[in-house]
Amino acid sequence: MSPDPSPRHDGGGPGPEPPAAGSVLGGRLRVPPVPATFVRRTRLSERLTLGLRERPLALVNGPAGAGKTLLVCDWARTAPLPGPAAWLTLEPGDNTPGALWACLTEALRRAGAVPPGRLPAAPGAAATGPELPGRLADALAERPEPLVLILDEAEHLTDPGLAADLHTLLRHAGDGLRLVLISRTEPPLPLHRYRAADEITEIRAADLAFTPDEAAVLLRRHGLALSAEGVRALTERTEGWAAGLRLSALAAEHAPDREGYLKEFEAGHSTIADFLLAEVLDAQPAATRDLLLRTSVLDRAHPALADALTGRPDGERILDELAHANAFVTPMDHSWYRLHPLFAEILRVHLRARHPGLQQELHGTAARWLHAADLPDEALRHAAAAGEWELAAGWLVRDLALGRFLTDPGLAAAPGPGECGPLFAELPPDTGGPATELVRAARSLAARDADAAVRHLDRAERRSTAGTAQAAGVGLDGDRPDGDDLRLGAALLRVAAARLTGAVADAERAAATAERLLPRAADRTRRDRPQFTALLAVGLGAVRLWDGRIDAARQALAGVLRPTEPAEPAEPAPTAGAPGVAAAALPGRYEALGLLALAELWDGAPGRAEAHARRAIAAYEQLGLPETADGAIARLVLAEVAAERDDPAAAQLELQRAESLADHPGDRPGDRLRRTVLALTRARLALHRGDPHGALALLGHTPPRPDPEDGHSPEPDEQPWTGSPRAESRVAALVAAALLATGDASAALLAAARGGSDGALVAARAHLRLGDPAAAVAALPPEVGRTPGAAVRALLVRAEASAATGHDAAAQRPFARALAVAQPDRLRRAFVEAGPWPAAYLRSRPGLGGPYGWLPAEFRPPQGPAGGAEPLPVEPLSEREQEVLRRVAELMSTVEVAADLHLSVNTVKTHLKSINRKLCTTRRADAVRRARRLRLL
Amino acid sequence: MRYEFRIAGTVSDVVLDEGFPEFESAVLAGQTVLVGRIVDEAHLYGLLARFQALGLRVVELRQVLEPEVSPEVTE
Repeated sequence: MSPDPSPRHDGGGPGPEPPAAGSVLGGRLRVPPVPATFVRRTRLSERLTLGLRERPLALVNGPAGAGKTLLVCDWARTAPLPGPAAWLTLEPGDNTPGALWACLTEALRRAGAVPPGRLPAAPGAAATGPELPGRLADALAERPEPLVLILDEAEHLTDPGLAADLHTLLRHAGDGLRLVLISRTEPPLPLHRYRAADEITEIRAADLAFTPDEAAVLLRRHGLALSAEGVRALTERTEGWAAGLRLSALAAEHAPDREGYLKEFEAGHSTIADFLLAEVLDAQPAATRDLLLRTSVLDRAHPALADALTGRPDGERILDELAHANAFVTPMDHSWYRLHPLFAEILRVHLRARHPGLQQELHGTAARWLHAADLPDEALRHAAAAGEWELAAGWLVRDLALGRFLTDPGLAAAPGPGECGPLFAELPPDTGGPATELVRAARSLAARDADAAVRHLDRAERRSTAGTAQAAGVGLDGDRPDGDDLRLGAALLRVAAARLTGAVADAERAAATAERLLPRAADRTRRDRPQFTALLAVGLGAVRLWDGRIDAARQALAGVLRPTEPAEPAEPAPTAGAPGVAAAALPGRYEALGLLALAELWDGAPGRAEAHARRAIAAYEQLGLPETADGAIARLVLAEVAAERDDPAAAQLELQRAESLADHPGDRPGDRLRRTVLALTRARLALHRGDPHGALALLGHTPPRPDPEDGHSPEPDEQPWTGSPRAESRVAALVAAALLATGDASAALLAAARGGSDGALVAARAHLRLGDPAAAVAALPPEVGRTPGAAVRALLVRAEASAATGHDAAAQRPFARALAVAQPDRLRRAFVEAGPWPAAYLRSRPGLGGPYGWLPAEFRPPQGPAGGAEPLPVEPLSEREQEVLRRVAELMSTVEVAADLHLSVNTVKTHLKSINRKLCTTRRADAVRRARRLRLL
Repeated sequence: MRYEFRIAGTVSDVVLDEGFPEFESAVLAGQTVLVGRIVDEAHLYGLLARFQALGLRVVELRQVLEPEVSPEVTE
């Protein structure tokens, strides 16, 4: 057997061409060829044609080898279809939303079914979101003629969520889509509803069974002319099963007395497939038999890969012959071949029986070949099947791909190609070298078990120092990661672990190591390099933010946000379910923008914070990618900004979005920074709602209460912000504000002492409450000029203190300044939380600062006889618009409203626009508020 | 849970030994009878898919009593 099957080495010599990148998915997106022996059965193809004219769904159900695929192939190639066709052959790995919708999007793109602008831009496994089916349906619904979408091997779709998505797609695409499902089993769609509404065409096993007349044609095409009686008997014996008939013909081919041979078979009781396959297999030349058995471990065979598995250079010839004889294999794109799934399954059984133990070895060989051919995802799958864990782990480390475990927390649960979690699920404990330990650490981190991760990291580092001398003796091994690779992988994981543990020093040390090593690693091809650097920088930024070093965090994040290097291809070629480089690097960029938004917020610049957060969210909306837990921070920043503007409805909406993205109850505690910000935002909104006790509880603040039993209070639980001075002071300031709201100004003063400059502002307010304006002014923080939120609060304290000491005129200047500073960002909250004084002061001096229409109504002098009642809208809302508005008021998203009202997303958007126009508002939250005031809701 | 499956036709020894090593088998009246323990429902459905993948037709399937009742499964 050739130990080095790398196609890069034999590119110049004779033999098969190496596979082209992207050819694998391409082969699945093409209508497979129809062999010359195919028998067209118009009774079936006409049923499909007629059925799909009226009904949106067609189901071709039957056992393996019943001729389902060929029937639809021929139909799609020759019949008068209602519109253009898009084909997708599904694989077991497609049973996840990411993989399925990535493949479907690519299929639609290739079919030119929808304008390119309506599709997510990045082909990749992550290219999905709850909105995607709705968006595709919208795009399809606008088609003048339906697209015929054909999904072969739909039995792999067992996830009810995916079936529900397909159902949604079909329902909302209306006349723009016809769906043909080819499957061994009934797909989990609500078929009874389609049947009841006469919206389904079904072709089932009994329909697919060959009649004796059809069987006679099929057997003649295989060069087997039998008597009418012989055909009838054989049809009966095989129950009209296409694979059985074909195998019979192939098995009889080499028998001297064909009719007699078949009579014998008819009389026997053996099951058809395995008996006949064994017969056919034994009739093949030894080389062909060997190739069939060995390639049965593959999902798809390439001639060069077949050569690697057999150790002979005859793969191309044999595969070509088999394809022509229509015996076992079908050619796909770019010289790949596909074994018939039924035969492959039986061949694997024979391989195990004839060559015990060979299967593992073949998987290992295939893994190495595929890796050399730059198909790393499939290579990993085979390496895992071979039990070559250290090899697979070594590839991940060498390709800087360990970050894949971190970018998708669902990875460990969802099996599929390119998804490393389940691949390593069977990894036996306590084996392998440093690379395997790093994989274990990455999996622990994905499961948020920081302690276990650190244990594995320590062990990996011990083993790598112990193993360096050894490795040097082995010689140059291209598959094995060297010491630098291992250190880089460990550095990334250390930074990720620090986000969970708060071990800031560890993260800084690891990042410095990575920075030193990365330039040295620059000369090699590393697919996942952009993702690696992005993850490292984002991790470091998050740790530094948590640690309160905002400028240092900004510096780390800036690298991620620089425009991507021109070396990257504009559109990465899609491989089988693997995220393209650009798509993989994106989450880093997305999260970096969210973290920058947080940095600005903590620096007291809500305007810039909002701009960054909106850019983060827009980045994903443009690509049709879902927001992930990494996006929770951006949503939380928006919630905080809305709270500063005293817009509780919008703040609550963003908080809920963040909560749906962030950590769920029952999860292990995740990223400390995210948990800190989530707790702070929850508490702040509770305080704004007028629930200071709720806010205190959310911050873990319980009044010191001696335990009656043993006299001392229990240790407080560790909070996510424990250890971060910056976060602790923000929490203390908020606790102080909540205490002040409960009316306990002295307790507030006590708490505010640990609250930094924010705490000082609360302390000043508390002094005012206690009737000590001089102390209030003295308590103000010295430096607030750069941060509008703090500046407005400080100025209001000064104004109120002056007024309280009778210097009414001296109050005017700071008050006017406060209004001017607050105006650009509409910082209403500072005025509202200062109590009744500012409103009363401003009402009594209407000429003070000009038209501050953005302030709440109580700050404006009463206008006219109506006593401030708002004018009714010029144009009343239509019934549909009211329905939409009611749902928006229930915090439903556009897509949810669309699904609920059976409208397209675009229609809902149109309604929202006209609602905003009629109510003279610009945003939906404002529209809801205004409608409430006008009693339209 | 012990289950008995009846498959139409005689299944070859190769497929029985390598495909279903955990089952006892016998041929009765032109059918192959497989008897063995099923761990849970996932095992059962996986097995049905496996029959289908190998082109075998299940004509009957039923739960059978455990040959001996072990103490921990008494109800």
